Amino acid sequence: MTKQALLQKFAPAMRPLAGIAAGLAVAAIIMLCSGYHPVAAFAAMWTGATGLEAGPATSDTMIRLGSGHINLFLLAQTLAKITPLLFTGTAIAVGLRAGLFNIGAQGQMLMGALFAAGVGALGKHSAAGDGSINPGLHVLLVLVAGAAAGALWGALSGVLKAYRGVHEVISTIMLNFAALDIIQYLVTHNMKDDAPGSMSAQSPLMAQTAWLWPYVHGSNLTAGILLAIISTFAAALFIGRTSTGLQIRAVGLSPDTARASGIDVRRITVLTMALSGAIAGLAGAVEVMGIHHRYVAGVAGTAGFDGIAVALLGNLSGPGVALSALFFGALASGSGYMETTTNVPAPISEIVQAVVILLVGIKAAIRFRRPGTKAERKETHGISG
Amino acid sequence: MTTAENSGPNQNSEDYIVELLGITKSFPGIVANSDVTLRVKRGGFHAVIGENGAGKSTLLNILYGRYQPDSGCGEIRINGESVTGKLTSPAQSIKMGIGLVSQHYALIPALSVIENVILGSEQVLPGGVLKRKEASGEIAQIMSHLGLTGIDLNMRAERLSVAAQQKVEIVKALYRKARVLLLDEPTAVLAPAEAESLFALLQSLQRAGTTVVFVTHKLREVMAYSSAVTVLRGGKLAGDFITANTSREELLERMIGTRPPAASPSPDIESEITGGPMVEAASERRPLLKIQGATIFGSRGAKAVTDASLELFAGEIVGIAGVDGSGQKELSEAIVGLRTLKSGTIRLASCDFLSESEITRDSVRRRQKLGIAYIPEDRHRAGMILNFSIGENYLLGHEKDRAWGGGVFLNRATIGARAGEMITGYDVRLGTRTADARAGDLSGGNQQKVVIARALDGQPRVLVACQPTRGLDTGASGFVYEALRKARAAGMGVLLFSLDLDEVLELSDRVAVMFNGQIVGVLPHSEATAETVGALMTGATAGSGAAR
Repeated sequence: MTKQALLQKFAPAMRPLAGIAAGLAVAAIIMLCSGYHPVAAFAAMWTGATGLEAGPATSDTMIRLGSGHINLFLLAQTLAKITPLLFTGTAIAVGLRAGLFNIGAQGQMLMGALFAAGVGALGKHSAAGDGSINPGLHVLLVLVAGAAAGALWGALSGVLKAYRGVHEVISTIMLNFAALDIIQYLVTHNMKDDAPGSMSAQSPLMAQTAWLWPYVHGSNLTAGILLAIISTFAAALFIGRTSTGLQIRAVGLSPDTARASGIDVRRITVLTMALSGAIAGLAGAVEVMGIHHRYVAGVAGTAGFDGIAVALLGNLSGPGVALSALFFGALASGSGYMETTTNVPAPISEIVQAVVILLVGIKAAIRFRRPGTKAERKETHGISG
Repeated sequence: MTTAENSGPNQNSEDYIVELLGITKSFPGIVANSDVTLRVKRGGFHAVIGENGAGKSTLLNILYGRYQPDSGCGEIRINGESVTGKLTSPAQSIKMGIGLVSQHYALIPALSVIENVILGSEQVLPGGVLKRKEASGEIAQIMSHLGLTGIDLNMRAERLSVAAQQKVEIVKALYRKARVLLLDEPTAVLAPAEAESLFALLQSLQRAGTTVVFVTHKLREVMAYSSAVTVLRGGKLAGDFITANTSREELLERMIGTRPPAASPSPDIESEITGGPMVEAASERRPLLKIQGATIFGSRGAKAVTDASLELFAGEIVGIAGVDGSGQKELSEAIVGLRTLKSGTIRLASCDFLSESEITRDSVRRRQKLGIAYIPEDRHRAGMILNFSIGENYLLGHEKDRAWGGGVFLNRATIGARAGEMITGYDVRLGTRTADARAGDLSGGNQQKVVIARALDGQPRVLVACQPTRGLDTGASGFVYEALRKARAAGMGVLLFSLDLDEVLELSDRVAVMFNGQIVGVLPHSEATAETVGALMTGATAGSGAAR
């Protein structure tokens, strides 16, 4: 490969990488100004994210590596943080491929979590969560319930857009609030946890047959990460290699051309929002199955919104989303560890995220609101006529 | 590269307001301009002609500062003074008195005429308040000088006709004190009368001392209006003439390199029409497509087509002529299924012509399957997806068809192979690229070839072709004409919606004329002349032949 071809191949990664570098640099400057030591802070962040520590292995969750060791617990927690981001990042990327800015991944994820918790509580016959349904089947049912709930919530915005012309940004934001309120009502009424001593608004404990179990004792890392990776790559395959994916891309790049070539733009709009919602719903299902085992407030964290940054930094491609979820997950996980070990406040990671979004995301967001980018127009101009 | 053709322009630099000397400009994978020289005399009316992909627009954009020539390749002089390396942006060239009216008009739809004109050169009071009154006075003065009445300065640009928008762009250039006015394909989207009025305007500007440089591929315009002409071919200089000392034939030869083959006559050259009109044959058969009493509303909710009826027979080309905005667009969209009929019906004959089925409410895709193919009017907006590969664009509309490489999963090998065949069969020029290249990297003519190939290769029975040669050069237009004639010979019914009257008259077996949303007449080829059709187009006479 020539140097030029190499450059061209990696050109799409340049802007995200520059954004990350700038984000880390800004964080370093702020740490310096606040009297912290950025090198030590980043080192702690690195350790927290990767689990790579100096010193001999002292417990059975540590594996010796050269002179140091890998702390499997820390690594597992990072992977657990990456899991929802992979789902929501993929969900938002899928929407953006059809030109739909799904700001509602958060609401779809919450709906997915609620329905998963509901179906997960079926067949439970003891307070500790012993269940009577075949575990494999139960897990499958819960995943389907979560995906279906998210799909429904997303499709609602799709229908509003396709048949009523309601902009999806508006409807998804509103449906986020609607989801929160509906769930709040349900977990304090119909789906209230009746177990003695339960005070807060939460759904009943799920049957253990519907749980995902941690890979490393005490961590949140479950088979959810595998599902997330599969979802990301299945979505990329779907978008890139199927005719429906081609239709989605066509609608995203040029709705008029899509319509003129006989593609049912409304159908694609509803379908894409449903698909995007389903993936976000899976994120919610996996969180309740692996971590909380019931619906509780805050089950989704801010994953639905963080997914926007993941999708944009990842340039909407499958591998891009995977790498960018890896980065943001590691950042979140590493900064928590940094706070406990160096006293540098963890929200510094949010500064990094903000800078990255400003540098990478805004341009991409604008690009997706306007058919025909500047570069595209320029290029076409150059050679025609 | 010699510039001394005929009585070549003399070498005294004093006479030239703009000189591009030995310019080379390359883009990844293509050299758009190679050692091209363009010298424009002060106060001249200079035409730059060439086929699509000849590098005309690129050259204009270099002069406008949008592109920089490859470093070390060539020199740019303005008023005899070298400005090489200084023309780094349109802002720079505007400062030097150069104004551009581009091919795709650059007005902002939501802003008023006055706001569009002053945009980028606003005069403001302290605090950023616009000097609106001064500006509007100055603009009104420019407009009255040009004899432009009837354009409301406070009207939003989106409400202006295409021709009026173009004139606003000219006003915008003059407001910035342009001494050299560059126009890129200025008549590509204008009706004949509008084009004439544009050139009248440009000539009056020239008399007032403005230098005009325009890019075109219409030889008629070059011969009628220009004082000098530069011919480009394949990115290279192919001739430099004083218009009075050359001829259409000579220019055409320089443009396409050889004499045009008789089989693909160009619109500018009178020649035998192959495959003559088939009016008699058609009338004996049942219609292929029957539109009855169609009333259609436009995008803005106004009635665009009123009670239009038309029949199309197999093996004929029916041209739909009319001034832009007479309802052609809405009618064509209704036929392919993009727009619903308020009332009326559309029927398509069965394959044996013994029965017909109503398709009035069918989707675009359903109609495609029944055999209605569509060449959209706006290639970039509705014809293709510039960021898709050529293969993907060719697949559009057939993406569920296994034979095309579609189906649930796309078969890349089949898509590539089919696109490869199409590229060979339709002579799509790719340079060093393959079928995987972005469609946006092709020149306009080659993009149109892909759109036409896609429409025809679906073996349709009805072809709805809208402005199929818009923005194309002579060679590419000839190709389109050939394709339409072949479609007719193969038994398709072709509806040709075109604003180019010459094109309609040359190709059509029958000409339907639209005026003010109605089909005011359908004339057979023998009766359709510029005069008869022109009269109907402007609503001057009632329809002589009632719509069949």
